[in-house]
Amino acid sequence: MNTFVLLQVSEQVAIKSADIASKDPHGIIISGVSVSVVFAALVILFFAYTFIGKLSSGQIKTPKLKLPSFRRKAVKPAGEPTSEEAAAIAMALEKEYGGETYAAIGLALHQYLSDMVHDNESYIITIRRK
Amino acid sequence: MNTVIESLYQFWQYTGFANMTYQHLIMVIIGIAFITVAIKKDWEPLLLVPIGFGMIIGNIPFTEGLNVGIYEEGSVMNILYQGVQKGWYPPLIFLGIGAMTDFSALISQPRLMLIGAAAQIGIFGAYTIALHLGFNPAEAGAIGIIGGADGPTAIFLSSKLAPHLMGAIAVSAYSYMALVPVIQRPIMLMLTTKKERLIRMKPPRAVTQKEKIIFPIVGFILTAMIVPSGMALLGMLFFGNLLKESGVTKRLAETARGPLIDVVTILIGLTVGCSTQANVFLTGNSVKIFALGLISFIIATTCGVLFVKLMNLFCKPENKINPLIGNAGVSAVPDSARVSQNVGKEFDKNNHLLMHAMAPNVAGVIGSAVAAGILLSFLG
Repeated sequence: MNTFVLLQVSEQVAIKSADIASKDPHGIIISGVSVSVVFAALVILFFAYTFIGKLSSGQIKTPKLKLPSFRRKAVKPAGEPTSEEAAAIAMALEKEYGGETYAAIGLALHQYLSDMVHDNESYIITIRRK
Repeated sequence: MNTVIESLYQFWQYTGFANMTYQHLIMVIIGIAFITVAIKKDWEPLLLVPIGFGMIIGNIPFTEGLNVGIYEEGSVMNILYQGVQKGWYPPLIFLGIGAMTDFSALISQPRLMLIGAAAQIGIFGAYTIALHLGFNPAEAGAIGIIGGADGPTAIFLSSKLAPHLMGAIAVSAYSYMALVPVIQRPIMLMLTTKKERLIRMKPPRAVTQKEKIIFPIVGFILTAMIVPSGMALLGMLFFGNLLKESGVTKRLAETARGPLIDVVTILIGLTVGCSTQANVFLTGNSVKIFALGLISFIIATTCGVLFVKLMNLFCKPENKINPLIGNAGVSAVPDSARVSQNVGKEFDKNNHLLMHAMAPNVAGVIGSAVAAGILLSFLG
């Protein structure tokens, strides 16, 4: 393939270019429309981030869902046990394992804090010299 | 004995010395000048060194048929050049730029985004002038994008609209990016008063991690919906930024902003330099392209600074913007922001404009990608 063929523009570009040249020979329409679109795109981003920023800094408060009074007590945040459930879990653990649970938690914490278990970075194998 | 002499003569015919023309020599000298400027002046060395050396490689004369030239199909240089020609190097560079850019300044002060839009007027100013100089609309669009001050975007668009001008456009774009301090400073001083240069801007507010994560997702959806033709550049830019800010893809972000962007920068610089073969590059059009590139930079800088002054007319006194950050609307990151900082410090040593200037600077990256998308949709 020679240099000329490699550097040719596609047929579609040539056709579109000729079309634009006849419709807008001075480029004023294309320039005007394009500048307006660039501004429009960044103005939309400006509004979007201004809104997100205000939402994030608490200047705009999200409306809270109001539930009927008889249902309010039953609702709790996901993953957080009620005080009755927590007491029941604690009693069950105490009955089943006695002090072993605390010992296991203590050992795990000790190993974690003294960095004995493994490196923080996943997928990286490290060899620790003794 | 005759055979030996004939063999030596035949070998001589193949050498670069025998095929050298003064045009090749000029291009080799320009290549050496690029390398010298990069090393001595430290002007965009990461780009000018590969481009300069590429120019030397591309202008070693050879006999056609050896399958070594960048325009000879199947040659090593031609295979590496595919990334430029098909336009897949620039989006990879945008991925790295996204992964290394902190958009906090922009997120905390979204109004500064508009400066990035104003500076893109340079692209369309140069487009109109190029039409009057006899270029067709596709060529004029590819030339105009030099004013976006974004090398990868210029290469991306010219590969689609005017591949025969790509060498001149790329070299012009990168040269003027290296010359940003020289071009922008006098314009900034000419368009601002001493009082305006002393304006101190409010420190930007702290940005939460959640906002940083939302930014690339919302930014991409909104901009790509408006200009789908800019999807490749915008998608990679925002994707790279999401890798950085998500906090869970640290290794991917490090690869994108480190080894990946380095490899692609080497390849893009070297092959763009190589593409400036004397027979393709040394034409009257290249001179016009260089002149238009300079004009587009001047228009972009002027529009950026003047737009800040316009914005100040509607701002409360405590919210005024220092017009010295207007030049940063062109997307030469971070050089143009550094110019704002340096010029600002000349008049008030304690006025640090860099963090403020980074906002229009990164907005300029988005703006130039949007502008490239628009030109591609009209002309591509």
